[in-house]
Amino acid sequence: MIELINVTKTFTNGIHALNSISLHIGKEEFVFLVGSSGAGKTTLMKLLYRDELPTSGKVIVDRINVTELDASQIPYLRRNIGIVFQDFKLLPKRTVYENVAFALRVTGALRSTIRRKTMQALELVGLLRRVNSFPDELSGGEKQRACIARAIVNNPPILLADEPTGNLDPATSWDILQLLDKINKRNTTVVVSTHNKNIVDEMKKRVVELEGGRLVRDQQLGMYNVK
Amino acid sequence: MSFVAIATIVVSLTIFGFFLLLVLNMGNIVGGISSRMDLVAYIYKDLSLDDAGAVQVKIANIQGVEKVDFISKAEAWKNFKDEFSNKLSLNEVVYDNPLPHTFSVRVRNADLLPIIAKEISAIDVVDEVRYNGKLIQQVKSLISAVRVGGTALVIMLSFATLLIVVNTIRLTVIARETDIYIMKLVGATDNFVKWPFIIEGIIIGLIGGVSSLLILKLSYEAVVSRILQALPFLPLVTDYALLMAIYAIMFFGGIALGMIGGYISVSRVLKNEMQ
Repeated sequence: MIELINVTKTFTNGIHALNSISLHIGKEEFVFLVGSSGAGKTTLMKLLYRDELPTSGKVIVDRINVTELDASQIPYLRRNIGIVFQDFKLLPKRTVYENVAFALRVTGALRSTIRRKTMQALELVGLLRRVNSFPDELSGGEKQRACIARAIVNNPPILLADEPTGNLDPATSWDILQLLDKINKRNTTVVVSTHNKNIVDEMKKRVVELEGGRLVRDQQLGMYNVK
Repeated sequence: MSFVAIATIVVSLTIFGFFLLLVLNMGNIVGGISSRMDLVAYIYKDLSLDDAGAVQVKIANIQGVEKVDFISKAEAWKNFKDEFSNKLSLNEVVYDNPLPHTFSVRVRNADLLPIIAKEISAIDVVDEVRYNGKLIQQVKSLISAVRVGGTALVIMLSFATLLIVVNTIRLTVIARETDIYIMKLVGATDNFVKWPFIIEGIIIGLIGGVSSLLILKLSYEAVVSRILQALPFLPLVTDYALLMAIYAIMFFGGIALGMIGGYISVSRVLKNEMQ
């Protein structure tokens, strides 16, 4: 589902964010991406949805060569990738419903389809009570649920979550990870970057560790730290 | 933010329209001076009034001639004596009327004066044709200065207005740069993001254009009626069609400015997003 072949990313300021990374993530896998800040986790995620281009190497997502994708095709790539952000990135002047529905509106879906799918997604994340609230009126956990609902409303085959629990308390973080696990079990490939040791250790999933832009560990049923 | 954009469009377009009207009126006034250019044709010998009438018709038929007045030598002598009798005692010096018959000719366009003068000279009974060539040259250069200067001013103001409006709208777009980024992340195409901003630009431009049009129209009508009360002969621009054309420029100019402003601004933000 996701394939990185010898990917290097050097920023114009000379920082080597990623160094010859090769990685394969299969269909419906659940993968934790761990490593300290600045290890290259966010950059790796951004390469997948073409917010960044690699300096060299090849990135393939859902059989699409992202590296050579024409700029006009980027929106269609992104409709197949749900993205969850640490800072939620909700549109502040729109309600929860509108934020989630927006991801469908851009596809030109029918109004009735938008309504049905949006309500389904909000039900799945447990946010039906908050459909008419604005992001400012939500707790951190609720904002993240709204963000997840927006990410999955298109039924994308891939869900990327970049530090989804970075701004949340431990109990809420756990709820969010349960939700991501649930989405994974509905046949979605899920990649989660995190600092949260407890969660990684508890969930016992595949762990990919980055350090200074290099891939230093790729372990099935892994823990946050090497034992 | 959009209030600021509307206010900017109103101010810029009103200033633009004000200068456009100013330049047009200056052109009209200067043009009015030139239309009062006369030439005078003196006749050789004593003509009968019938012959004079024939010559008058001949001159009147020359292209560009607006009006021809015949002043008989007796009339001219009388006018002359009336004007100078208290300063000179002419009867002591001149016993006989020395003045010729005269035609006073008004032309439509100062540019035509030399040509018309030549044609009148060609009439056999005409002795001499006089007109003030130097004054005409001065008026002509004044006209062209007003035209060139006015056109340059209007062009410069057009660019200034465009720049100001585009930049103001850009500020409103940049304020929503994050929103645009988010929209792009969830798979919105450039066109999907662009249209709302372009439509908003059109609405801002429409409101701005109509407001400045009304401000200009009402104040111009008020000013013109005051001036014409005091100086009824001043040739100000009151031509309905021309004024409507100017108001139409402001109306559509406002819409175009808003639309262009919205388009340029959102395109730039989207371009930055791609890097």
